[in-house]
Amino acid sequence: MEPILNEQQSLMRETAVRLCKDYGGPKRARALRNAGTEMDVPAWMELVRSGWLCAAVSEDAGGMGMGILDVSLALEEAGKQLLMVPFAEVAAVAHVLGKIGARAENQLRAVQQGLQILMPALPQEGWGNVGSALPIARFEGGQWFLDGRIRHVPFAQSAQSYLVAARIGDEIMLCAVLRHLVKLDTVANVDGSTSSELVMDGSLVEESQVMVRGAQAQELLETLRDLLAITTGAALVGVSAAALEMTLEYIKYRQQFGKALGSFQALQHRVADCFVNLELNRSLVYRVAASYDAGQMHAAMAAAVKARTSRVALSLTRDALQLHGAIGYTDEHDIGLYYKRAIALAALYGNDINQTARFSALTL
Amino acid sequence: MNWDNTTLFSDDNPADAAFRREVRQWVDKNCPENLRDRPSRVTPPEMKPWHKKLFERGWIAPHWPREAGGMGATLEQQLILFEEIARIGAPTPFPHGLNFFGPILIHAGTPEQKARHCPGILSGDVTWCQGYSEAGAGSDLASLKTRAVLEGDHFIVDGHKMWTTNGTHADWMFALVRTDAEAKPRHAGISLILIDLKSPGVTVKPIKTIRGDAEFAEEFFDNVRVPKENLIGPLNGGWKLATMLLGGERFATGHPRNAAILLNRARQVARVTGADADPAFRQQLAALEIDLLAFTAYYRHGAALHGLGKVPESMTPVMKLAAGPLAQLASEFLVQVAGPAGASLADMEVDGEAVNPAEDLFEMRRVTVGGGANEIQRNILAKRALDLPS
Repeated sequence: MEPILNEQQSLMRETAVRLCKDYGGPKRARALRNAGTEMDVPAWMELVRSGWLCAAVSEDAGGMGMGILDVSLALEEAGKQLLMVPFAEVAAVAHVLGKIGARAENQLRAVQQGLQILMPALPQEGWGNVGSALPIARFEGGQWFLDGRIRHVPFAQSAQSYLVAARIGDEIMLCAVLRHLVKLDTVANVDGSTSSELVMDGSLVEESQVMVRGAQAQELLETLRDLLAITTGAALVGVSAAALEMTLEYIKYRQQFGKALGSFQALQHRVADCFVNLELNRSLVYRVAASYDAGQMHAAMAAAVKARTSRVALSLTRDALQLHGAIGYTDEHDIGLYYKRAIALAALYGNDINQTARFSALTL
Repeated sequence: MNWDNTTLFSDDNPADAAFRREVRQWVDKNCPENLRDRPSRVTPPEMKPWHKKLFERGWIAPHWPREAGGMGATLEQQLILFEEIARIGAPTPFPHGLNFFGPILIHAGTPEQKARHCPGILSGDVTWCQGYSEAGAGSDLASLKTRAVLEGDHFIVDGHKMWTTNGTHADWMFALVRTDAEAKPRHAGISLILIDLKSPGVTVKPIKTIRGDAEFAEEFFDNVRVPKENLIGPLNGGWKLATMLLGGERFATGHPRNAAILLNRARQVARVTGADADPAFRQQLAALEIDLLAFTAYYRHGAALHGLGKVPESMTPVMKLAAGPLAQLASEFLVQVAGPAGASLADMEVDGEAVNPAEDLFEMRRVTVGGGANEIQRNILAKRALDLPS
């Protein structure tokens, strides 16, 4: 069902549809993958120009004063068009920087103006439920030094710096770590995106790059995790929607036994179930994002978004492949691009299992 | 923050929030104890005192317009009443008169018909049942054969209706009957008439359900005389009336409360059996709660769109396809959590309350069959929302 939007939101959505069509699509995604390009730079520049990276930053802090719902609507379009950019991450980071205030002002301005890509670098494994230790920060001679490893950071080669949560004894701090002070070990993912291990062996962090410490840092880290779950979930809804649309087109046109595949009831029922699952997820993303914007979100709701959008994106794109038959198994056909993007995004920031466990811990 | 799965995403405005508080207090004070959290089905005679209380308070028909004796409530207020009644495990009054027939009567009935039948529906003094299904007309309802032939001032009704909920307790039936055997398409020969079940020639027999109670009945009509003025709407115009969606009553049938209550019951049972310490239990419960949250989001989204008059055609089948299986999964989960007691006919004692997982399991089997089986809903979605060919 269509979201309920005001005039400004409708306008932004229309612009997002256009921008993502112009700077995305399967053909472009395929070319980037084949060339081994980590990030689509022209698409990123366009996003910087649009101002949407800071859509969910208050006007006082220099943003557009809209919300996570608006960012999510744009991300749904970005997902549909397979855009290869860290939009979900940087929009979430920008929102958090906006909440920090003065100590994050310079970082935020650099993000907004496109002078830097500040990627969140958080331990992925178990998504905070198990293991995944934060890097350790030590203070020596008026400066901080970080030791530790963070695995599976996307877009790490394209970033200028990383937003890192580091441990100082019992408390944590959020700081920006410069890329050239970190060793990267990068591998490719199934969809052409990348996954890097950040190795910090005494990586220097100046005091001015420490943005927040203590209880507030812990709270903002939780917020960042929640937002990454929602924004990535919105992109997964877009990926699923495009895969379903492509599949419907295919079964309407493809003939077997002298009639369209789409006329067979077994197939109709299968896509009807896909549609139901997808419709629920769209509403889930809109409602949870709107609840966050209204200051009424329970953290479990963000976990639910990522768990269910991941689950459905994987099952729906898998069904989409099946309904395409043999052509779906070829590299040549675009449906495989959606399948693989779903796999990559579902795996990030807590997969279905991690986020379901997180939901459980938050609701028991 | 506590997790309360019965009021997810309910963003009440201040007036609605005050109404919710008022309803909550009142329901808690007035609902008879023996009807709360009942493991077994409430029968029409047991329901009557509770129905009467809601009627006397003026809350029995929130979705009916004021001039017909209803509340003329907004959809938000309707949902609040619904949720607050569900919250304490109180039963929702039977929908056959209030939700199924009432809106049709108000929409298509003559002033005389409304004056005659509305008061009984509202007060609960008259129990109604729906006479649509027949032995040979289930999902393919338009093939129904029960005949009504006009002779002078009366229809003469002959035939057989089946799967009638509350049939053995009902005083009246609103029935779809064939008034033109030759009509093409078949549904153009169907009319909606009201049958007094005490009329000569009517035989009602109970049908024992999978739960073991006589919720269902079948009715035999042998030369039953039904006055002509009991025709609702035009002759041969019954199909349209029966299948049209009038206002917000679809929000009552598709409410996420069934699954919410069952999952809360599973939590309670798990605390008693110790299953709540099992990570496998927690993970499964969370997965179901996540589905419930998603469905609730869809439901609230639909309710908000309803207020704007922008509900898409796909909403009713989507709600049915999401709500039914979810409630069934929740009931199956409850049976699992109960362990060996899940197979028992005897009630479990949980926190001083009686729980019967098998009863819940059986009760939920009906929700994907009644009102158009889920397979029919998928057909509807494929044709109307996904534009797939025949």
